[in-house]
Amino acid sequence: MSETHESAGIAENAKNAEDKAAAKSAGSAKSAPVISVRNLWKVFGPKSHRIPGDPELKDLSAAELTKRTGCTAAVRDVSFDVQNGEVFVVMGLSGSGKSTLVRCLTRLIEPTAGTLEIDSHDVLGMDKARLRELRRKRAAMVFQNFGLLPHRTVIDNIAYGLEIQGMAKAERRAKAAEMAEKVGLAGLGQRRPVELSGGQQQRVGLARALAVDPEVLLFDEPFSALDPLIRRDMQEEVIRLHREEGRTMVFITHDLSEALRLGDRIALMRDGEIVQCGTPEEIVATPADDYVRDFVRDVPREQVISVRRAMRPADKSEANGGAELSPDTLVSDAIETMARGGENLRVVDDGRTIGVIDYACLLNVVAGLDEDGEGEPDKGKEVAAV
Amino acid sequence: MSTPTIHEQGEQKAPDAPPPRQADTGPEQHAAPSALQRLAGSPKALLVLLTVLVVVVSAAVSGSGAWPQAWTVDIRTPLNDLDNWLVDNRETSPIFLYFLLHISNFAETSVDAIISLFDSMGWMGVTVVGTLIAWASGGADLSRRALRTGGTALGVFIACGVLNMWQATMETLALMTAAVFGSALLGLLLGLAAGLSDRFERMLRPVFDTMQVMPAFAYLLPLLLMFNIGVPSALIATVIYAAPPMARLTSLGLRSADPAALEASASLGSTPWQRLWTARFPLARKQMMLGLNQAIMMCLSMVVLASLIGSEGLGDEIYQALGSLDIGTALTAGIAVVLIAVLLDRTTSAAGERLDATVNVGTTRLMARVRLAVWGMTAVLLGVFAAIGSSLGEREWPDAWTVDITRQLQSGVDFFTDHLGTGVPVLGGTVTWAHGFTDYLLNPMRTGLLTTPWWALALLVGVVGWLVGTWRAALTGVVCLALIGMMGLWETSMDTLSQVIGGLVLTMVVGLVFGILTARVERVERILRPVLDTMQTMPQFVYLIPVIALVGLSRSAGIIAAVIYAAPAVIRITSQGLRYVDPAAMEASRSLGATSKQQLLQVQLPLARKALLVGVNQGVVLVLSMVVIAGLIGGGALGYEVVQGLSKGDLSQGLPAGIGIVCLGIMLDRMSQPAGQRPRE
Repeated sequence: MSETHESAGIAENAKNAEDKAAAKSAGSAKSAPVISVRNLWKVFGPKSHRIPGDPELKDLSAAELTKRTGCTAAVRDVSFDVQNGEVFVVMGLSGSGKSTLVRCLTRLIEPTAGTLEIDSHDVLGMDKARLRELRRKRAAMVFQNFGLLPHRTVIDNIAYGLEIQGMAKAERRAKAAEMAEKVGLAGLGQRRPVELSGGQQQRVGLARALAVDPEVLLFDEPFSALDPLIRRDMQEEVIRLHREEGRTMVFITHDLSEALRLGDRIALMRDGEIVQCGTPEEIVATPADDYVRDFVRDVPREQVISVRRAMRPADKSEANGGAELSPDTLVSDAIETMARGGENLRVVDDGRTIGVIDYACLLNVVAGLDEDGEGEPDKGKEVAAV
Repeated sequence: MSTPTIHEQGEQKAPDAPPPRQADTGPEQHAAPSALQRLAGSPKALLVLLTVLVVVVSAAVSGSGAWPQAWTVDIRTPLNDLDNWLVDNRETSPIFLYFLLHISNFAETSVDAIISLFDSMGWMGVTVVGTLIAWASGGADLSRRALRTGGTALGVFIACGVLNMWQATMETLALMTAAVFGSALLGLLLGLAAGLSDRFERMLRPVFDTMQVMPAFAYLLPLLLMFNIGVPSALIATVIYAAPPMARLTSLGLRSADPAALEASASLGSTPWQRLWTARFPLARKQMMLGLNQAIMMCLSMVVLASLIGSEGLGDEIYQALGSLDIGTALTAGIAVVLIAVLLDRTTSAAGERLDATVNVGTTRLMARVRLAVWGMTAVLLGVFAAIGSSLGEREWPDAWTVDITRQLQSGVDFFTDHLGTGVPVLGGTVTWAHGFTDYLLNPMRTGLLTTPWWALALLVGVVGWLVGTWRAALTGVVCLALIGMMGLWETSMDTLSQVIGGLVLTMVVGLVFGILTARVERVERILRPVLDTMQTMPQFVYLIPVIALVGLSRSAGIIAAVIYAAPAVIRITSQGLRYVDPAAMEASRSLGATSKQQLLQVQLPLARKALLVGVNQGVVLVLSMVVIAGLIGGGALGYEVVQGLSKGDLSQGLPAGIGIVCLGIMLDRMSQPAGQRPRE
């Protein structure tokens, strides 16, 4: 992979994310990434450690590899950075290795090869005690199947992480009650998990993770087991929490709309590899290959793509007339504005007109004809190379 | 689903298949292949048919086929030598002085201590504390469960007193207390090891599998050998016999703990110990409680049976009474044993249910405190009664409050034997039936087995073992059969085998009929369930008593006892197998308009095949374990040899028979155990 392109892309994205984070919780932004993953491998099977280092084996396809060695590479040569305050979504179909990847981050599954740093600490080199410290304080996880303890009350489930850290009973219960309130479980503290609905159970899981006040929240398909309406509620909940606290999140999902809604950046995985990594808009507007294109085909593009990508260069005559839009305005909003006013729109950045939106531009986006030809082709290529 | 249905359709058409004179109707022949053609298409069926053919023909030709005398090994002489050495060295050998004697002394002392504790508490103290413990296990509140459990305990204690069995009951309870404690502890430790370490699990599983197949009877002799006759032998035999279910279920519970919860615990940075205490153990406690319940019931079964090697108490009462054919006394003691079984089962299962309930419904802190207080109070009362209980009245249940029902029971039994045993017009009577069963089924079968050449039988065992299970099962079966032959026990074993087969056939008939009924008729299920529950908790020994009353001392008596003993498990497995058939398949068959009978024959039974095989397997194991105990009541064969060996202290007679029983058990188990799965508790 081309390092330069990659880092350029990441830097670009990091800037976006940082801006966002800074806007949400001023001052908490750092220059170094919270999580930094380089060339991470996880191979299951006999003598799995030899595969990442073997130049011949490492480039084999998944089926070929299984046939040749009996091993399965769940995570293949994955690299990415997660910036402070960012919601980083890893998306892929089942079996694409995304759940394995998130478990590798705290070594719930031991990676086979690569480097992994959290807050510039080398995670793979940690001994057991330091690893526990990492799991206790830095990264907490929310699981698809909740993983609650059925014999404990809601409060004691939320307080479980604090109990493991050795916090005294009264103190941890008070903290847990506070967390229960935060995630909307007030008054349910004395219930047992089986008495709660699926959505409520996952709120307990979320509260348990929040209770230890981790730097990073890891979500492993937390809402896949829930009904669509409740899933939406929970997504809102996560968005709200992120807006309030600005906590860094790594979010695993197989649901594209969930990924687009929550993610500041999305990494799309297939067969253990990241096929594309970028903002939702980049992924939808400039898919890296046919697989990604197929994946995002049914996405309502006007709700993801901004006018910056949809506009055409302005003629001299157009530089002053018509309503103004900022470059980050979504196409769907532009459609609304245009429907109201009926004339072309100007895209204005720093008081300077950088482009014009007309009917054709908007329709191109909706019809999916804007790809590659329009917007910023260079940037699209750059992302595709990652 | 489609395969069995098609198969069944073929089967159904078979009767319509053209017999020779209709052979000219060509098309029908194509539609329904003849039985012979279908047989040729299935190599397995062909193999079985061939083997059976070989067995029958060789039996008819040779006429006698016992294991060749020249291939037997004399094991009596070395066993006698060992026995003599043991007698000579029991007091002096370091193995005894520094190891076995300590164990045996410890066992003796602990049981004695418990008996004297009961003694000093007096009957009142024991009743009050026992009732309190049961009530507290049921939840220590005014709920129906708690009151019922406490009430049961009170009733059982009073009944045992009134039946004039107080002293024997206390002895049994004392032995039980020690045995349950021992086997629960042993089982817990082994289960912990097996649950946490894969290597231990791999090591222990075959051991437990074998122990589960071994009839209780087989445990007695080796312990007699090491610890001599007396309470220590009985206690240790019981502990060993009852530990596996506890270990198994503990391990199962630890292993089947919700992986998501364990992962969540790990993700929060728990140490392995924290994970064990806060997640694994609590998640496994339901299974562990079930294990404890099973261990307790097996303890009771063994404690009663161990009267053969010197345990006192109710078992001994039964044993002595059976010896002198005093059915009245045996029945009275039997009733007391059943009552204790009910008490123990109710108490532990109430505790188990409560475990479920606390998961379901939130418990208030107040209630938790009340419960703690009740347990505390019980402990204090125990101490108080131990100190002053004996001055509060008599130690034993007052004589004035006892009712002697032995005479009435005896006369009832006599009446029964006189009027129903023989000479009932047309029907014949129970004893007549038993004789008929012996004459027309058991004897021909035994003769058949004895005339079959040994190699033909080994072939049959091998083929069945291979077809049902794996080639390894087949090999084990054949080796076991060969061992039996080499020990010179061929004829006695064939006798036992004929009884087992007879019992198994009856058990399967009863089990299938009632299993199908309970699975399909709600009312039968409702009526039978409590009966089956009670029957499955009763000690084996107790089943012998009413059977003698019915049919007298005979081989049939043992078989009837075995059928009664084994049927509940088979009924339960069959009915569960039928009921848990994939509902989608049932629905599909209903939507195609299948009649009730078609549903049963074409969907339920074929899909429940695995469960039915498990039922056969359980049936074999249970029937065997009972058939050998029936050696006490005229069953003869291997069981009788063991009884003789035990009562005469003759190692060379009892031990080979005991090993023979184990071999037979393993052989039968392997022949009926479907490949790739073990019946679970």
